[in-house]
Amino acid sequence: MNNHFKKWQPALVRPVAIAFLIMVLAASLLDPAQAASPEVKPAYALVNCRIFPVAQPVIEKGIILIRDGLIEAVGPAGKIQIPEDAELIEASGLNAYPGLISAHTNLFLEIKEQAQPATPEEYMAAFSQPAEPKEFPWLQIVEKIKPKKQTVETYHRVGITTVVVAPHEGIFQGQSVVLNLNSDQIHGMVLAQPWALHINFATERGVYPSSPMGTLAFIRQKFYDTQHYSQHLQKYRQSPHFLKRPEYDPFLEALLPFVIDKKPIVFQCNNLEEIKRALKIIKEFKLNAVLTGCNEAWRASQQLKSASIPLLVTLDFRPPASSVYAQQGQAIREKAEKEIYPANASNLVKEKMNFSLTSFGLNDTDFVKNLRAAIKAGLPADQALRSLTIEPARTLGLEKQLGSLEPGKIANLILTRGELFDEKTKVVKVIVDGTVFTYEEKGQCEKR
Amino acid sequence: MILFLLSATWLLAGGDLLIKNATILTVTGGVIPNGDVLVLNGVIKQIGQNLTAPAGVRIIEANGRYLMPGIIDTHTHIALSGTNEGTDAVTPEVTMAEVVNADDTSIFTALSGGVTMVHTMHGSANVIGGTNVVLKLKWGKPSEELIVKEAYPTLKFALGENVKQSNRTLLPGRPQRYPATRMGANALIRTELMRAKDYMATWDRYEQLKKSKNPPANLFPPRKDLRLETLADLLRGKLIARCHAYVAPEMIEFLNLSKEFGFKIGAFEHAWEAYKITNELKAAGVGISVFIDSWAYKMEAAEGIAYNAAYCTKKGLLVSINSDSGERIRRLFNEAGKAVKYGLTQDEALKLITINAAKQLGVDRLVGSIEVGKQADLALFSQHPMSAYTRCEMTIIEGDVYFDREALIKKRAGASAQKGGLS
Amino acid sequence: MKLTRMTPASLKNKTQLVFMAALLCLGLGSLYSLPLSAAVQTEDKAEVIAIVGAKIVPVTGQIIDSGSILIKDGRIVDLGANVSIPAGARVIEARGLTAYPGMIDSYSWLGLEEISGVRATVDNRETGRVNPQVKAIEALRYDSMHIPIARANGIVAAVVAPSGGLISGQSTLIKLDGWTNREMVIKESLAMIIELPAIRRSRGGFSGFRGQQPQVTTEKTLDELRQIFKKARMYEKRREAARKNSLLPLPEFDEASHFLLPVVKGELPVIFSVHADKDILQTIKFVQEEKIKAIFYGVEQGFKVAQEIKEAGIPCIIGSLYSLPPVWEDGYDALFLNPVILNQAGVKIAFSSSSASTAKDLPYQAAKAAAFGLKPEEALKAVTIYPAEIFGVDKLLGSLEPGKTANIVLADGDLLELGTKIQKVFIDGKEVSLENRYTELLKKFEQRETDKQVNK
Repeated sequence: MNNHFKKWQPALVRPVAIAFLIMVLAASLLDPAQAASPEVKPAYALVNCRIFPVAQPVIEKGIILIRDGLIEAVGPAGKIQIPEDAELIEASGLNAYPGLISAHTNLFLEIKEQAQPATPEEYMAAFSQPAEPKEFPWLQIVEKIKPKKQTVETYHRVGITTVVVAPHEGIFQGQSVVLNLNSDQIHGMVLAQPWALHINFATERGVYPSSPMGTLAFIRQKFYDTQHYSQHLQKYRQSPHFLKRPEYDPFLEALLPFVIDKKPIVFQCNNLEEIKRALKIIKEFKLNAVLTGCNEAWRASQQLKSASIPLLVTLDFRPPASSVYAQQGQAIREKAEKEIYPANASNLVKEKMNFSLTSFGLNDTDFVKNLRAAIKAGLPADQALRSLTIEPARTLGLEKQLGSLEPGKIANLILTRGELFDEKTKVVKVIVDGTVFTYEEKGQCEKR
Repeated sequence: MILFLLSATWLLAGGDLLIKNATILTVTGGVIPNGDVLVLNGVIKQIGQNLTAPAGVRIIEANGRYLMPGIIDTHTHIALSGTNEGTDAVTPEVTMAEVVNADDTSIFTALSGGVTMVHTMHGSANVIGGTNVVLKLKWGKPSEELIVKEAYPTLKFALGENVKQSNRTLLPGRPQRYPATRMGANALIRTELMRAKDYMATWDRYEQLKKSKNPPANLFPPRKDLRLETLADLLRGKLIARCHAYVAPEMIEFLNLSKEFGFKIGAFEHAWEAYKITNELKAAGVGISVFIDSWAYKMEAAEGIAYNAAYCTKKGLLVSINSDSGERIRRLFNEAGKAVKYGLTQDEALKLITINAAKQLGVDRLVGSIEVGKQADLALFSQHPMSAYTRCEMTIIEGDVYFDREALIKKRAGASAQKGGLS
Repeated sequence: MKLTRMTPASLKNKTQLVFMAALLCLGLGSLYSLPLSAAVQTEDKAEVIAIVGAKIVPVTGQIIDSGSILIKDGRIVDLGANVSIPAGARVIEARGLTAYPGMIDSYSWLGLEEISGVRATVDNRETGRVNPQVKAIEALRYDSMHIPIARANGIVAAVVAPSGGLISGQSTLIKLDGWTNREMVIKESLAMIIELPAIRRSRGGFSGFRGQQPQVTTEKTLDELRQIFKKARMYEKRREAARKNSLLPLPEFDEASHFLLPVVKGELPVIFSVHADKDILQTIKFVQEEKIKAIFYGVEQGFKVAQEIKEAGIPCIIGSLYSLPPVWEDGYDALFLNPVILNQAGVKIAFSSSSASTAKDLPYQAAKAAAFGLKPEEALKAVTIYPAEIFGVDKLLGSLEPGKTANIVLADGDLLELGTKIQKVFIDGKEVSLENRYTELLKKFEQRETDKQVNK
């Protein structure tokens, strides 16, 4: 046996070794998981940072442990045991906040500007076909999203790690999605799909409804029709005998979850009257609703308080054409944009109202600029932080996963050099779903 | 008891004023030279001479100036977020009360002309446009507080050129909307009301069957249709029709439709040819709401005559003058004043924008004249309001001053060059 | 002397010139034997009319509580408290009435617009930007239903103006009486109309709607005008030179330049439709540089630059007060205060109806300004003598004075008041009918009363 083995070995060693090498190489080359599959993320320990958990008081010098994309522990230094396998991230001199949530954006959607007709031919062409009614209650906006790495980085730099992407056309606009800005691969980004049905008090052109009052009647009629459709469907299911069968209606089918099952509906309100109109409809049909836009929310504070509806307040201060401040001359218009609308949030705080702030209508630079203006106008900084973290998390129904730095929640946080809303503050690191993005003062993002 | 308390709290919301030494044009009770009016809680409490007021009540020295009831405009489109749902020809489901816009600066413009109340309406693009709303022009107050709940609920109808779209160029690819003729418009009203009758019958049947001893297993409620519901309300008498009509045959045929279906007509709007059919209008008890002399802008206004308002008044019709314009509204008193030239006395002309308008809107118990117990909607003029040389100096609604020219002038004088906005 | 072929050489012969001139004068003289109006007179020219017992408001003199006016040959020959009435005069008893000069509308579309929504009946806007060749008199519908209505309210003369584009055309001054448009002419070509951009409205404003933004600024427009005027002057020079020297070719006929010549030469005034304060200042400068005669129309923000307008000596025709101020900051009553401030600063103002269908409202436009502070006497002047002076016809029109045309209105009260009823109107000394569309239709349907009784 021994002789036999010894005699066999030298002759086989080389081919076997080569074969082995080939197999190993092949395995590494053929392994498809390299580029797309979730890598095994290291566990992290952020040490020596000043922590703003939001749900708890500030921790002057603390530690955050992150594992598998979730927060494992948060606490003052000394109270937290750093695990052996944790990668240390030195965060002294940095502040840690929960990643900001903008609960209303049109991010990643390629919105074409409606070009104004320039020539008489174009003008006529705009009217020549009967306008198609633009109603998309069934639209899942997630299908239209094209995430871009550039955009993700831009939003990281202003501290935003979670966004709602909402549809934007028509009266019944469609259904939004909540995304974590953790990459540019859509499926890994989705937090909640769909989130809500979005309704805007827009009008059609050339087709009913083409006026604000027409739109209100249209919305109401659709809701009544949905209720009738649901009753009919139920009855038909129970007993179809001698009962005319309900005709399939994709519009009403799309509305059933929201009108009957009370999934959330978001109404866009661009002035005081639209807030009142929305509240009336919400009450009439007992909807589970959220208001967005709300640039004039302070003017309806009493009604909003008694209705206790979540508010997504925009930081866009431009007075719309219908605004009372846009009708009394240039001076008042400018005052509205520079003083009156920026004070909206602080007025709501004075009324002891809760609300979220959004970047709707703004790009990243204007979002930050306007946020600072709102704080300057009297919005307390800690309230501003809450309005961008725990409040939107609650409104989105994601308060168990996001909005504060607590064990068990998703590891979405930002590390800043300086106080969050100060002018000179820079976002240095962003962690989304446990993936670390490093943004040095001048320079490129490093993803770990 | 609860209603009494509720109404009392509402009354407490009004203002207190003592207006002294005015030439009071009561409209229904003659002219009181050198009179006083005491207003408490927004209601006219006393009219007389040498009145006194409780402490703290603002005193307005009229110095002989003319006090009249606040002007009522029975046909406008101000203070609304939209005017026309100009797509389908029949849209009664649209409710103008839902799109009241209390931020509209036209409210201030109207106040500067002594107007305190408006019947603001859907436009005339459709045969049946929508339900309208009556507002008090309480500039600065939230929209809910402007709505006058006591007024007749009205439904806007329109006939003639606007509805036919005959003054529009037909765009390529867009078909001509039905109705393109006056006969089509009437036929459309008829068919829609017949459809509404069927709708009512369907619901009645359902209710009957539901209440019956053995309702059938497949019983299922009909679809609620807001459009037909509104028309049903018209047939039930819960709404009255306000019909935009110019030429005599339109009005005659609309009167026939109202007889055929049993609905009530509040007034004809514009009614330029009313002078041709005063007998028919009188017999039907239907009034008109007209311009004095804004004519000749469409063919259907080509036989309008400035004598229309005065002549119809003399024939016993209830006539009001309206503005239908955010500009003309502030000289409505001048428009009424012109009626004197065409045959009325100054007192009769004054009625065209006060008590007559109030009657047409169903609020003559509350406003339209200066009488004890009525709401204190008042306007103070520098000269007699029917004079060309007059201007409105102050406009008061329920005892609160909403327009004060003197205060405005003082503010202008005191303000820097960068003045903007309202007092 | 035989009539040889006319050559430049022969025309230089002085005797021939004189002969031609004499012939011409005789010919013209026969045509000019009639006064301004060649209207068919229903009365004998020689007849004297005496209006007696009226209160007389001459406008340019003291009010006479009770007096008489003598009319002969279409003119006022005498007026006063103690005027002797010649035998055979037709006496018109006017006790209880007030005699005023007939009013003059300084800007209207009378005769150019019947039903504004029906394009076939509207002739006030030509297409294109530069149309100095267009003359309002040539489109004037003298049988417009709006003319008798205006006349029945005491308006005896009106400026009829084309509109649209930059240079709209030539306006005309007509009297509101005549069997044809030519019989109505007072001044066939009164002034060129030039329209400068409207005020840039801020969003919203009084009507609550977004205003229309003009495409081009006034500055650019005036530049454009400068070029057009320059071209006209150059055209004239070249034509002049070619006339003198037959070797030079005639420049190609340029209609715009040709019809602008009277303007650039300072002979035909221009009515500038101009609105914003800065634009008014720029236009004043333009007028002075170009050395043309100017009148302003519209001038909604004139009150802001009243001093400058006064110093420039430019009269202002006020646009219709039936509008909202285009700029909120000016205040709700800006349009009403505007003529008051201009008048107080010494600017000559005149009111206009700026309409056809509401041309009869001219007196109420004046009264509106009076309601906001304009002295009533000034308001009256702004619809009588001031427009007459502005248009250079004050020798014959605008007031009740001996020698002037007998354009007289007998009213039962203040001419500018709403309730006043006009009893009689005289144009060129002839009593004109006050029947109009309104009265015709009223009479027709008043008939229904008697008819109904018969039929029932």
